[in-house]
This record gives sequence, structure tokens and C-alpha cells, in this order.
Amino acid sequence: MQYGLLVMGAPYSSPAPHSALRFAHAIITRGHQLAGVFFYHDGVHNASSLMAPPQDELNLREAWLELHQYHDVALDVCIAAALRRGLMSESEALRHGKQAFNIVSPFELTGLGQLLELQHRSDRFITFA
Amino acid sequence: MILHILTKAPDSRAATQMQQALGNQDSVLLIEEAVTAALNPAWAAWQKYRSRIFLLSEDLTSRGLTHIAAKHQLPTMDVDDFVALTEQYEKTVTWY
Amino acid sequence: MAVPNALLVIIRHAPHSSNWLREGLDAALVAAAFGQPVHLLFMGQGIMALLKEQGSGAPGQKATLPTIDMLEMYDIEQLWVSEGELKSMQLSTGSLVEGVTLIADQEIPGLMQQHATILNF
Repeated sequence: MQYGLLVMGAPYSSPAPHSALRFAHAIITRGHQLAGVFFYHDGVHNASSLMAPPQDELNLREAWLELHQYHDVALDVCIAAALRRGLMSESEALRHGKQAFNIVSPFELTGLGQLLELQHRSDRFITFA
Repeated sequence: MILHILTKAPDSRAATQMQQALGNQDSVLLIEEAVTAALNPAWAAWQKYRSRIFLLSEDLTSRGLTHIAAKHQLPTMDVDDFVALTEQYEKTVTWY
Repeated sequence: MAVPNALLVIIRHAPHSSNWLREGLDAALVAAAFGQPVHLLFMGQGIMALLKEQGSGAPGQKATLPTIDMLEMYDIEQLWVSEGELKSMQLSTGSLVEGVTLIADQEIPGLMQQHATILNF
């Protein structure tokens, strides 16, 4: 089956990203495909390349990155939710006149249309918030 | 048929709202903070949704509640069973 | 009431307490803009989003009412309000914006089953 996940909890404030990652690996272990993960609300912070947790804590962004690298999972970040929380790609930083950026590939800034598209495309769609 | 995932404690608004939305054939999985329901075997939901409500064992273990859940003979499932449950239920709704 | 491929968006959070309400309504508006039929169900504190006398918040904090007023323009006309929760909040439909439909608590599970897709905010 094709699964899609919606993650709306922030890293290191909510257990939702950990629950979602654990579920993502369990899906794949059972032989399903994970079509994509959509980050919305405070979940957009999962995509920040500037997160620097202490070494004895899991770097959640890197955990998502591995999911992309080994299982080709699309990582989409809601652009409106990201921009208002100070998360942006290099091109958005240029557009908004900011000196730094913290969203890099394979995380993609995208519209909410992608969330609806993922929900339609997936046989199963699970929210972690 | 819907699988409801509750992430907040049994006395939360989310828990109340989930119970309002729960159909006769729906199931419930308690994860994250919701596994504190293991502390209260008198919680009405245990009887009311008997045989279709479960605790996520990994979240019980991390909170030190595994033995309490076993003592109260409450049903548990691990994350692999969680995926299996989502295979059976076309829709899931998360309450947080 | 049963519309195939309709999206049910559940709103459970009040204005001026978190961004759940705003981002939930945004999801509803985008789905409607993409031509998907969208229905809204207001539960608990989410009912406060429909209070007709609400204003804007602390300086710079946006009001919700203009977004609620926009729903009709996006053809989002089905606004269900949980009757039991409205009562338990000691509110009546007279305090709410026009065009809401009360839904009895025992009908909420049926409403959930009828929608192929649900987003819960």
C-alpha cells in the first residue's frame, strides 16, 4: 500500500515527529511504500538545517533525510506555515531580503495543494500531531 | 470504519471529542500521552469499546507503564501491529 | 449530505489561543480553491471561531471573522456545529454567524463515516 504522513508537531517540543518516524520505518518494514511526508503547522521546524541538538539526541532532520535517501520519500514543507515561522529556502531568503536560509533539498517548500494531493494519492493517510 | 488515534490523556478535550466522533465499528489506538489511560482501568472507554481499544506498547514501555497495563489486563499492540491495524482501516483520524 | 470525495475539516481550536484554527481554515480554503467539496465541523473550543461579535486580538493579531466570512465565497457552505457542545458552552445559535447547521451528538459518527477524507485541526 501507499502511505502518506502529515506531521504537525515541532521537533523537541512534541513527541509527534518521533512517533511519525517510528511509524514510517514500521510501514517500510512491512513492505509498504511511503509516498511522502507533509510538514504543516509547527511540524515545519522538522526541516530546519540549522537545528543542532546535543550529540546524545537524535537529529530529527537527519532522520527524515535518511528516510528520503534510503526509501525515496518525498519531504514537503508547507511554504506559508514555514515562512511565517522563519523557515525558508535560499530563493525565498533572496525574495524576502533575508541573510540566511535553513531549508535545503530534499526538503521542498510547497503549497497546501501538495497536502491534498498526497492525501488523494495515498491508500492510507496518517496524521501525527 | 475509522481508526481513531488518541495522543492526549483520557481527561483531555481531545479524548472527549474523539469519543463523540466514534462509530460502532471504529477502533481506538492510544499513543503518546494517551497511554496514561493504563493507570485508570475504570475509564469508561475500556468497557465501552472493549476489544477495539488498544495501548501502544512502545509508549507504555518508555513511560514505565508496561507492568501496570498488564496488571490491569489492558490490551496492547506494538508499532508493527499499529501498521497492521491501519491496513484494515481505510481512514484514520488523529485527536491531539 | 453525502457528497463523494468531499473533505471534512474538523475545527477544534479557538481563535487567539493557537495557530491551529488559522491553519485549519487555510487547509479548507485551499481544498475548496482546488475544486474539492469541503465541509466544516466545529467542535468544542472551535465553536468560538463562529462567534459573530469577535474582534481582532493583541496588536497585530489577526481576526478570524474575515476568514469565516470568506468561506461562502469559496463555496464552503456546510458548517456543522456540535449541538451538545454548543449547549455545554452555554452558547446559542443567536451568538453565531449566519448559516450554521446544528448537528446532534449522535449524528457525528455518521458524518465522519460519510466523508472519504478528513483533516482534524
